[in-house]
Amino acid sequence: MVKIEDLRAEAQRLLKGGTVKYIIGYERPAGSWKANPVFLKNPEETDRLVWDPTCYHNLVRFLIDEKRRKAKSKEPDPRPVGVVVKGCDSRAVVVLLQEKFISRLDVYLIGVSCEASGVIDERKLERKLAGKKVRGVAFGPAGSFTVTTDDGTVEVPAAEVLADRCRDCIANVPVVSDHLLGDKTKRTVAKPFQAAEKVEAMAPDARWSFWEEQLGKCIRCYACRSACPMCYCDECVADSICYAVTPDTTAEEKAQKIKWVERSPVDSENFFYHFVRAIHLAGRCIDCGECERACPVGIPLRLLNKKLEKDAKELFGYDVGLDADQPALISCFRDDDPGDFIR
Amino acid sequence: MDKILAKKDFPQWLKKLRAYRLFAPRLIEEVWNYEVVDDPDHYVLPDVQTVVPVKKVVFPARECFFEFEETDGTTLTLTERRPDAPATVVFGVRPCEGKALTLTDSVFGGTFDDPYYGERRKATAIVGLACNTPPSSDCFCLSVGGAPHSTEGLDILLTDLGETYYAQALTETGKKLINEGGALFSEPKAEDRKTVERLRPESERRLTRRLENIKNVPAKLKGMFDAPLWDEESLSCLRCGICTYLCPTCHCFDMNDEVESTVPLRGKKVRTWDTCQFPDFTMHSSGHNPRPDKAARLRQRINHKFQYFVEIWKDYQCTGCGRCIALCPVGIDIIKVVEKVRDYGS
Repeated sequence: MVKIEDLRAEAQRLLKGGTVKYIIGYERPAGSWKANPVFLKNPEETDRLVWDPTCYHNLVRFLIDEKRRKAKSKEPDPRPVGVVVKGCDSRAVVVLLQEKFISRLDVYLIGVSCEASGVIDERKLERKLAGKKVRGVAFGPAGSFTVTTDDGTVEVPAAEVLADRCRDCIANVPVVSDHLLGDKTKRTVAKPFQAAEKVEAMAPDARWSFWEEQLGKCIRCYACRSACPMCYCDECVADSICYAVTPDTTAEEKAQKIKWVERSPVDSENFFYHFVRAIHLAGRCIDCGECERACPVGIPLRLLNKKLEKDAKELFGYDVGLDADQPALISCFRDDDPGDFIR
Repeated sequence: MDKILAKKDFPQWLKKLRAYRLFAPRLIEEVWNYEVVDDPDHYVLPDVQTVVPVKKVVFPARECFFEFEETDGTTLTLTERRPDAPATVVFGVRPCEGKALTLTDSVFGGTFDDPYYGERRKATAIVGLACNTPPSSDCFCLSVGGAPHSTEGLDILLTDLGETYYAQALTETGKKLINEGGALFSEPKAEDRKTVERLRPESERRLTRRLENIKNVPAKLKGMFDAPLWDEESLSCLRCGICTYLCPTCHCFDMNDEVESTVPLRGKKVRTWDTCQFPDFTMHSSGHNPRPDKAARLRQRINHKFQYFVEIWKDYQCTGCGRCIALCPVGIDIIKVVEKVRDYGS
């Protein structure tokens, strides 16, 4: 089991020695049972760090902000950023390395093993506890969770409250790290694509109605895009005017900019937005599930991404985010690639 | 006017109001939202907070202002589209949302009258449900001028008395809706009124969250435009639109021409929700963005709610529903941010 003292000690060592410019980790604010991202610069603050089953955020996403800040800075600090990564998060780092969005020297990865469990799904836990107020959640024995409520402490089997993404997880131990904490025993998953298979089994009409209903709920808050570590484009097809305009952009360039998708949350535009986003994640999505967790209206976005991950595996034998030395799926060509996917 | 309605008769009342479009909270796959009531016979009013606030009924996420069409190759015809505003009743609205509507009324019906909002608002009656217990663990209405039994912005306030609802008509519209229920409503007994009197302070004590001593915040914010606090508090912000889109008082919008055909030219002028939390909200065509980062955007959200709105409309533009706290994917907590503003430099 990950010892929190070890995590804090490593963070303190890094900050004291000036090895990293800051550390992105998790903290639990006073009065809350849920962890939040925290950014620490001061070695005296490392006691704030926590590691518990509510550390579901993919902190790798904040490397996008870091890169933008660095690009704007006149004298950028060349030191790496320390990031606490779970298995899924580390896979996101691998993709960013493959795509050369970051270099290995930009990050110092403190890996934490999810061991036999993973993170919880808040909604599942709230339903399970039926109104009882949660005080805290901790990793329990044999993959269970120890949940403290006003009425005392209970052991909840992982199967009941584990986030869906963790059930399908192929990397319970970080695949890349500079300092790895916790048990390194890898878990195998018999059916990593079961979520996608359920939708694949639907008849086309039923599948269409399913997505019509799901995407019909979208309010276009773009939380799915904002939570995604892969959505790092400066210019997004979904925004009407958010293209990378600079003082050098000519009037012609601006005028000729095609508006691909309207802002209106109506079926046609919602479909366009979500499908374009999904396609852009083909061979890139590492299934951290943050899009789905962030979605306030409950759209099962993982299903789209899982299908693409499955296709990448079945058509090209490609596992996303496991090997930083392998070229990214969509930027390479092999003689033995199947030819029947383009007709 | 106050009356008593047996809970088992609630569906009967809905049926008597069939001439109206009826909205009420409904659970669809773990998410509560105001939806059209399609099965009044079996409808039970839940004690919940919806994800999307009631503003969606009077200020939809998208509406068409006019359509344009090029005819004969040279003439452009404009056809105005007034809102489709059938007489509507929304049930189960929490008092903080009723208050939020009054704030939005000031904006859209204040210096400039927005007929699109106005027509829908006029056609919509609000039946509130008092919060005997807070519907969210992040509620803090008491701290921003509201209360779990507040009647502001409501036409009727229902209070759950166990087997019955105590119904208080607050407007002529409210009286009319109760009268349409006819014999379903009976006169309250003295003890019913007493129970309501008792529930009111009890419900206030049940609120767990507070944002206290914020009187100095509007004045203080004026001097905090460049405070490093905004950078620190916004570090984890993802720049999504959840906190504002799902805020019952946020009302910013964008207008766009949705062109369906270029030759001949045909399309719609539409209004959609917009938010100060998106980078393109303030993006100039020159490429200059006066609110260039997350810090500036968080500052704007707090300033608007706790300074600008107070200056213009003499009230906070926050009614303490707690949605922005509960739904923020990274746990940014408006209570904590405003407390830090309050305590800044002291």
